[in-house]
Amino acid sequence: MSRPQSVRQSMAWLHTWSGLVVGWVLFAVFVTGTASYYRAEISRWMRPELVHSNLDPAAAVTRAAAFLQTTMPDALGWSIRPPSTENPAVEVYWWRDPAGPYHHALLDPATGEQANVRDTQGGDFLYRFHFELNLPPIWGRWIVSACAMILLIALISGIITHRRIFADFFTFRRDRSAQRGWLDAHNVAGVLALPFHLMIVYTGLVTLSSMVMPWAEMTAYRGDLLRYYAEAGLMVPGRPAAGRPGEALPLGAIVTRAIAAQSETPEMVVVSSPGDAAATVTAYFAEPPGLAHLHPQIAYDAVTGAEIGRVGEAGTATRTGAVMVGIHEAHFAAAPLRFLFFLCGVMGAATVASGLVLWTVARAPRGAKPEGLGLRLVRFLNLGTIGGLPAGLAAYFLANRLLPVNLAGRADWEVRLFFLAWIAAALASAFYARTRAWSLTLAVPGIAVLAIPAVDALIVGEARFLGFDAAMAVLGLLLLVGARLASRRRLVRRRTEAILHRTAEA
Amino acid sequence: MTAPALVLSLLLAFSGFSALALSLERHHRAVFRSPVPRSRSGGLRAAGWAGLTLSFATAIACAGWSFGPVQWIGSLTFSALAVVVLIAYRPTWLRMAALAALPLAALTLPLALPG
Amino acid sequence: MSAGAGSARGWAAHTDRAVVAARVILAGAGGYAVAALATGWLALVLPGSRAEAVSAATIASFAIMAAAVIWVFAARTLARAALSLGLVAALLSVGLWLAGAFQTGAPA
Repeated sequence: MSRPQSVRQSMAWLHTWSGLVVGWVLFAVFVTGTASYYRAEISRWMRPELVHSNLDPAAAVTRAAAFLQTTMPDALGWSIRPPSTENPAVEVYWWRDPAGPYHHALLDPATGEQANVRDTQGGDFLYRFHFELNLPPIWGRWIVSACAMILLIALISGIITHRRIFADFFTFRRDRSAQRGWLDAHNVAGVLALPFHLMIVYTGLVTLSSMVMPWAEMTAYRGDLLRYYAEAGLMVPGRPAAGRPGEALPLGAIVTRAIAAQSETPEMVVVSSPGDAAATVTAYFAEPPGLAHLHPQIAYDAVTGAEIGRVGEAGTATRTGAVMVGIHEAHFAAAPLRFLFFLCGVMGAATVASGLVLWTVARAPRGAKPEGLGLRLVRFLNLGTIGGLPAGLAAYFLANRLLPVNLAGRADWEVRLFFLAWIAAALASAFYARTRAWSLTLAVPGIAVLAIPAVDALIVGEARFLGFDAAMAVLGLLLLVGARLASRRRLVRRRTEAILHRTAEA
Repeated sequence: MTAPALVLSLLLAFSGFSALALSLERHHRAVFRSPVPRSRSGGLRAAGWAGLTLSFATAIACAGWSFGPVQWIGSLTFSALAVVVLIAYRPTWLRMAALAALPLAALTLPLALPG
Repeated sequence: MSAGAGSARGWAAHTDRAVVAARVILAGAGGYAVAALATGWLALVLPGSRAEAVSAATIASFAIMAAAVIWVFAARTLARAALSLGLVAALLSVGLWLAGAFQTGAPA
């Protein structure tokens, strides 16, 4: 059979190349995904005009339904989120076609009109970027899924290849060569958070599985996805439209029934075939405490208000899948645990980044040999991604505060500036002197990020945003510390220290 | 689950990992400037695993079987990271920190347990 | 881990690029194909309700693909990798046929 030595070597090769090929995309996926643990907080910061009010959710839903009735009475579906702690406005979607486009608006719960709030995608931009990369949904999700599978391969090959995974568990040698130091850093970040990394990549794949691996339901249900969801206990079985108009009850009346049935306000209300005689209203409730991403759902007849169905009981396998989705998104997590997940996500991004840097350090030519084109390209992409992405984030948040509130297409401009700043920072890094490239690449976004709390204090200045501003201050400082560390002549110093070390021990 | 519960898990795991790290030749040398005596390494290993087990037990006791394991694994990651950083930057502080973690854990225990 | 790129490459160091590329394609396309076939087969043969079988098969699918990909790169030769993957795919296809996957008409 194969010699263990060569399996380890081929796994080392596999780990190095699979990690490199998807490293840049994965860095962006990790950073935006980690930020998404605080998606609601980011959205709140980016919509300072919205303030919480204690209005009756049923009444707010009725007003929202009136807005949707005026906007698209012949829609295929409406979805309404009553105000919550996460979002004080009523969030509505409406669509004519299940493939989209999905129209979106934020409504004032008191009036049912469009809320007087600046046009912005808020934290949702980062959340969607995390699994769609701002591409057309199908393309973006396939690319992210492919990168996730390659990450899984990189993790497995990394584990197989890491010879001294237990003996080196606590090892971080920063006083030896640069390559040793970066390798140790990569190993520490990778191994210490390995349970998280394995969990997050596998659960991420499962979350997208209905698109990338539909073969089970294609085979067993001949592609009747809705029937699978109903039988699995994931959805209430739907019913087709009658084709003739019907007079629906005020939506708030049905929401009141739903509140009475579950003793809590639904998170979301979906109306299927509004205006039809067989229109259905489905109330979705928050997941009960626990890891599983399973929403209790009650379906009502829109015309009579009678309950016509509840979501079934999910079996063990379906529940396991729901736990996987749940643990990926960490909705269940209270503040301390959510922060832990956030830090683990940071460790993931650090593992990817240190791996990318290690790749160039390990291949730096000895002596006076010139660098190959491939190595220069990788170095450029490293600088552009690891330094460029924070620059883009800084631009996104700064644009939110600095762009005029009434600017047309404001939300699109914020996203445009995100990408422009990222590209500009990446291109600029190509012109920095070799020895200063990393320190400049980190210092520029560091300063930009530090500007965020200052700009926020000047323009908005609300105490409830101190948490976000403080987090930005910490992030900016960390970037500047990184820039400082990168600028010291560490290699020369290290070699000197190593020589002294060795002579002392001799 | 609460912050004191998480802190408790972290402190116990930190003590455990410190002991395990010190049972290894390289790290014992970094902290004590002498190799591990054979008699000690077994004791350190046992203490280490005991710390990790206690951390697991308290995580389950405070947060249940659903969230407890998740919390525990998170505590393992960051307590191990703390050990790595200490050994790399301030090795002489490790012994003190590991010993201090135990009374701190004892103080946190009543705050962490539910009810 | 070894010091430089060269010694870490094992079989790849002495093999020409076409073979490496072939392994990549075999791993990607072949691994996905095996996972897809296995997922379909498991959805039909796992005990319990049909919906539960679909859920369980889908969850397992990514582990199956990962195993196939690792196998393609760990196998000593490209031929061995391709033949074994091909054999597994053939067996799964037979299994699917026996379980009634290729019959037309509404499922049971």
